[in-house]
Amino acid sequence: MRTKNIYNPKRLLLLALIGVVGMTGCKKFLDINQNPNNPDSADPNLLLPTVEASVGQVVGNAFQVYGGMYAQYWTQSPNASQYRGIDQYRLTNTSFDRPWLTIYRNGLINADLIIKNPGTSLEYTKGIAYILKAYTYQLATDAFGDVPLSQALQGNGFGSPKYDTQELVYDSIFNYIDKGKALLTINSNSPGAQDLVFGGSPTNWTAFANTLKLRAYLRLTKINPAKAEAGVKALYAAGAKFLTADASIKYSTVGGNQNPLFNETVALNTQNLVASSTAVNAFKRNNDPRVNKFYDDVAGQTAKSIVQGSFNSSGVAKLVAVPSSLVGGNLANGTSATAPVKLISAAESYFLQAEAVARGWASGDVTALFTSGVQASFDATGFPRDTEKEHSFSDYMNNAPDALAAVNAPAMESKIKAIITQKYYAMCGFQGFEAWSEYRRTGYPNFLITSVASTLAAGKLPLRLLYPNSEATSNLNFPGNQTIDVPVWWGKNTVVTPAP
Amino acid sequence: MKKLLQSLFVVLLFAVSAMAQQRTITGTVTGKEDGLPLPGVSVKVKGTKTGTMTGSDGKFSISVSESGAVIEFSSIGYISHSRTVAAGNVINVSLESDAKSLGEVIVTANAIKREKRTLGYSAPTIKNEELVQGGSPSVISSLAGKVAGINVTSSSSTPGSSSRVVLRGGSSISGSNQALIVVDGVPIDNSSVIGGSSVLASVDFGNRGNDLAPDDIASVTVLKGPAAAALYGSRASNGALVITTKTGSKGADKTSITFTTSNTFSKVLKLPDYQNEYGQGYIDTVAADGKSATYITDFKENGSWGAPFTGVVQPWGQEIDGVRQTKPYSAVKNNVKDFFTTGFATDNNLSFSGGGEKTTYFLGLNSLNSNGVFPGNYDRFNKYGVRFNGTSEFSNKFTAGVSFNYTRIDANEVGGGQGAGSVYNNVLQTPRDIDLPSLADLNNKYNGYGYTDAKGVKHPNSYGYYGTYTQNPYWILQNYKNLNDVSRVTGNFNIAYNPYSWLNIKERVGIDTYSDRRRTLAPKYSFVDIDNNPDGQYAGTNTRSSNGNYQIDQFNVTELVHDLMISASHKFNDDFEGSIMIGNNIRQRQTNSLSTGVNASGGLVVPGWYNLNNSNGPVNIITDQLTKRRLVGLYADLNLSYKNFLFLEATARNDWSSTLPINNNSFFYPSVSGSFVFTELLKNSSINNILSYGKLRSSWAQVGNDTDPYQLLTTFSKSTVNGSFGSTVFPFGNVAALTAGTTLGNINLKPEKTAAFEIGTELGFLDNRISVDFSYYKSNSKDQILTIPIPNSTGYGFSLVNAGEVQNKGVELSLRGTIVKSNDVTWEMYGSYTKNNNKVLSLMPGVDQISIGGFSGMTAVAAVGRPYGEFYAVTTLTDDQGRTVVDSKTGIPLSTPTAQYVGNYNPKYQASLGTNLRYKHVSLNVLFDTKQGGVFFSRTRDITAFAGVSAETGGQRLGAIFPNSVYKDASGKYVPNTSVGYIKQNYYGSEPAGADMVDGSFVKLRSASLSYTFTKEQLKRTPFGSFAIGVYGNNLFIWTPKSNQWADPEINSAGAGNLQGFDFTAQPSVRNYGINLKVSF
Repeated sequence: MRTKNIYNPKRLLLLALIGVVGMTGCKKFLDINQNPNNPDSADPNLLLPTVEASVGQVVGNAFQVYGGMYAQYWTQSPNASQYRGIDQYRLTNTSFDRPWLTIYRNGLINADLIIKNPGTSLEYTKGIAYILKAYTYQLATDAFGDVPLSQALQGNGFGSPKYDTQELVYDSIFNYIDKGKALLTINSNSPGAQDLVFGGSPTNWTAFANTLKLRAYLRLTKINPAKAEAGVKALYAAGAKFLTADASIKYSTVGGNQNPLFNETVALNTQNLVASSTAVNAFKRNNDPRVNKFYDDVAGQTAKSIVQGSFNSSGVAKLVAVPSSLVGGNLANGTSATAPVKLISAAESYFLQAEAVARGWASGDVTALFTSGVQASFDATGFPRDTEKEHSFSDYMNNAPDALAAVNAPAMESKIKAIITQKYYAMCGFQGFEAWSEYRRTGYPNFLITSVASTLAAGKLPLRLLYPNSEATSNLNFPGNQTIDVPVWWGKNTVVTPAP
Repeated sequence: MKKLLQSLFVVLLFAVSAMAQQRTITGTVTGKEDGLPLPGVSVKVKGTKTGTMTGSDGKFSISVSESGAVIEFSSIGYISHSRTVAAGNVINVSLESDAKSLGEVIVTANAIKREKRTLGYSAPTIKNEELVQGGSPSVISSLAGKVAGINVTSSSSTPGSSSRVVLRGGSSISGSNQALIVVDGVPIDNSSVIGGSSVLASVDFGNRGNDLAPDDIASVTVLKGPAAAALYGSRASNGALVITTKTGSKGADKTSITFTTSNTFSKVLKLPDYQNEYGQGYIDTVAADGKSATYITDFKENGSWGAPFTGVVQPWGQEIDGVRQTKPYSAVKNNVKDFFTTGFATDNNLSFSGGGEKTTYFLGLNSLNSNGVFPGNYDRFNKYGVRFNGTSEFSNKFTAGVSFNYTRIDANEVGGGQGAGSVYNNVLQTPRDIDLPSLADLNNKYNGYGYTDAKGVKHPNSYGYYGTYTQNPYWILQNYKNLNDVSRVTGNFNIAYNPYSWLNIKERVGIDTYSDRRRTLAPKYSFVDIDNNPDGQYAGTNTRSSNGNYQIDQFNVTELVHDLMISASHKFNDDFEGSIMIGNNIRQRQTNSLSTGVNASGGLVVPGWYNLNNSNGPVNIITDQLTKRRLVGLYADLNLSYKNFLFLEATARNDWSSTLPINNNSFFYPSVSGSFVFTELLKNSSINNILSYGKLRSSWAQVGNDTDPYQLLTTFSKSTVNGSFGSTVFPFGNVAALTAGTTLGNINLKPEKTAAFEIGTELGFLDNRISVDFSYYKSNSKDQILTIPIPNSTGYGFSLVNAGEVQNKGVELSLRGTIVKSNDVTWEMYGSYTKNNNKVLSLMPGVDQISIGGFSGMTAVAAVGRPYGEFYAVTTLTDDQGRTVVDSKTGIPLSTPTAQYVGNYNPKYQASLGTNLRYKHVSLNVLFDTKQGGVFFSRTRDITAFAGVSAETGGQRLGAIFPNSVYKDASGKYVPNTSVGYIKQNYYGSEPAGADMVDGSFVKLRSASLSYTFTKEQLKRTPFGSFAIGVYGNNLFIWTPKSNQWADPEINSAGAGNLQGFDFTAQPSVRNYGINLKVSF
């Protein structure tokens, strides 16, 4: 059926089309893609606490567990199973996805964004960021060996950052420390309370930088003694002041602000870590009163420990002492939440200085520095100085085989053994990873054993952590996995011999 | 059918306008089922050459010369109808569809009605009766097996549980792959946000597409390819389910009142197979020969690794008040089966429909009340809905319609997964000798938490339950809640203006707005074993404690859609006609998600008080996110037809999206399709006697797609530094902090593109007694907007890019045959076969695969050169002959050094077979469907192996040789293992994740129903217009390969998203059966 058309249909359609187009002409209508949920810029002083909290998570939680178990302060509880693989020396690459992420994506990137920020009067904040970047890179390289550095932290600029040698990473660490120290000499606004470690104090951060540099140079004593010596000497020549108090982050009982290890334990809701006989027996051999501070007793058992890795052994005790609330390791004691995470402890600072002097690279009194180190550790474990309790400190120093008697032995190597062994005691529960690193460097203390749960060949020990799975699957420049018993670069010349 | 075609042909030939002077009869022709206007109906005065056709609004106008003339109405797909002209000048007719006809009219994109024969793509339609046959409360689940090319996964088949629908395979790597759901022309939201702490926590709050009540639905048309859906724009690139809800019919004599009630019972469908030889405890030492062992009967153990059953009565559980219970040491074979009860659901629907001369209305009310298979009334799901659909003609030129639907859901979902709130996880770990139902009484001091001792002293913090590593599942059911509260309004109104019979202008505005509020309640407690004197037989004290949790997840989504459509049709000559539509589409989607909880590690202060004011520490703000996006589209649709056997359609659309970079936000996509009904040319040949209908069709389309809002810039967020389990959360004291974002934005983002091609045929044989529908398709999706993982050493975790291409190729075949057709008996068989080959062709250079989800040991990935949805995990090591490599000393299978591809969640093919049998007033419908060839990861397998309860852990536990195994001898050669036995306890529980893959093939009796309809005669003395009664069932039986001893492969912990094939101790699925009644007045 045909209809007589009054209007030309084509014209009508065209008109309609124009009308419709007109409605959409308004660009404003579509200009609504501004994100109301997240800012696209950030004040560097708001990024600084993230960098510090990241260090707190790595040193105080992930690496604390590995370090604490590989330094044999702690072992896997027979009543739980979370860390069995660690005692079995059977690590999986995926276990390291998280700490690697924390290091690069929470720590280093934010430090880098602080450093690159074009704002003014940020020298203190940037100086601290440089020093923390150095500290974090040392953590990464001491754990994993070669790590991305020169091409890292550049987003899509280098989509697959290449891995730099550990030697280059150490050179960069020294460089970052120097840059940070230089910035701290320029008067600027202080980050104040945004700095969780020192409240923005440039003096304290300079001392931290010096101590970190001393630690880093001493790490090279086996692989490049000349460089270590030159570096330490230069540091002393410049009149460096070192830490006399702990550089630590203080946690609270507020949910989410707790000691990271305790927070992790609460989330797991299982007490996995218990006392290892390796450390406990050493403390007992020296009649060391600190043992009851580093471990909490369970059901009246006094510092009962089990052999490293014996969680599956027949007849193993089910009731074992646990890491104390002082070090944040006791699930059943809520005050664990307030345990600090120590980036560098006062005791460590004295022991580092003692080693520098013992090696003849600095002037000073080895015994005095050694005694200050032990004293700092007794202070940190809460033995009051001015009551009769102090008696036990001097008792200890005079009578314990690993105390004055050891450091007063004339040979340099004996002194170093004494210093590192005492540093090992001081770091119990607080600085497990650093204690393990020093063991890997020096072979001290010499009483560590092979975990009875070891799946490695006889005589082999873990000497590094594994690269994360995430890098293996996403980085085209991934250098390939290294097995756990291959030493890192600075540990290549060290022979570690587990005690029988 | 043949006659119908012929008569239409005749009508077309002789349809010339007769300029009669006498009376003009006008009216509207509507479809009887849905009451919608029917265009293109032939209207003819009997015995004359006078004829016309209805316009796009179903209206006609015809002149008759005399009273008593008979007007014939006919249309392909409908039963012809004649009316004698009486006094009035208005004749409204509703035509009944001819269900078996191939020429049916279906609703396609934008609620446009089209004759099926004109379509250049496959678009099967399912009518209400077929949809509700199995009694499933889910519209999506009801589609399973009914259409080729559709992949429906119904997780647990309980009311409110997730069901996913994918058409022709997944094409988007990270976007949604589900079909777009369109109700009465307006797309509705089908979000699936799984509840709980992770996607694998298995709290299934369902997907929003299931809010629809099946009883309100008139029909569902499945538009499978992008060609079919080009007009919906980008969101329909995965195809669309075009749902038409019921309407009243015009000119009905009276209001039709229909009441249906379905009462459904549910039972667990498939549980793991168990061993019944060993009970509670574990091996202490194995003898040197590896063949015998001493056991520890640890009364607090969850493992069944103890000594072989003896049947001897012995003590068990904790010693309380000096007394320990005793029981025989023997298997309680049905302890898990008996834990579950029979669920019950009642689904009631009441509808009123009718219409006046110019109006229609439909009012539907429904309620669904269900109490599932978990004991007690904790797993409940209640849904209430009301729908009103109305249309009205204001004058001859204006019509309006309104549709309104309100849905409310009130539910408590039971948690699965591996967390503390998982009921099933604790059920599965019950030793084989412990009778689960006997633990139900929580007031019994041996079962519960907190007790009063013989002296009347209360011990609120002690527990008497035997398990020190597990929790009483009855206590979990009582104390952990996952409450859900949904209120949803969807609706639309439309106004049409019809100034000329060839021109129609329609404006439609639709809205979909809902609030989905979820509350997660986890108790705060700290319980220590009452019996805490370890005597070497069992573990020391184990404190069970939790700080508790209370979390609110609130999702508000509002979507507004506007469409203006102007359509014009023109008949150029007797052979050639055409129509064009142009339209404008604007849509806006706003979402608001707010997730808050009590402090993540501090939990609650006061136990039992679930309120954010009871947070122990700062309240945890998990998500506070607003999004808004807009899209403006312009589209055109051209239809041409030649002699009613050659059809061509072309569409074009341009979109402008707010989510893309402002200079790159426009994208254009065209489609073209054709249909050729070649049997029209064979009309008078003898072939026509066999091949009564034949059509060839083909289409090509391209669809663009935008992205989510706010993807262009790299941003910062409030800082949280996560450990593996705990985290440091800012503010830290009073110190606030920000952190660099996770994902690098991309300011140069382009739209995604999907191109699809399809060719197919529809054939009808022997007067359409047998029909065949076949399609072949191929689609490529490229320039996908992907968030690809980049090394964390870049400082970021992900980068947003345009990359990657996914290809889907496949065939679909539907067959339908009427074997017997007589007045008393109709017997019909139908079946479908679907095979989709999916392949990820490329990703980013240097990126081999992208994770779709999972957990660290088992991920589902999109990997280059493999089908989408491949599982990737460390698995059991095998040699090149497929034999398991075992350790030469322990006999335990070794693991692969790195992750491997261990199968795919997509089936290799799917098929269905159904029958409809009617004898007089009794009808029987049965439908089987199958999926073959996929795999799934079963944590149910893992946990039952770990606990030593599954059948595979039974038999010889010491010194058995791992089947078909080899070991490496000293020379490094693989030697068949005939001598090195293994200790099962040392293997199960620490086997690699890849060893927990299970064959996902199954055959299901998807649905069955038997109903009796009373005849009009029988109902003469009753008030009922119709009365039918029936029994029905869905998900009734499952047949799985012998190797699947654990679960229904359809269950999925991650809901309806892209992460499929994860039985992460997901709730077992259920079979449903019941009785229903349908009456109308």
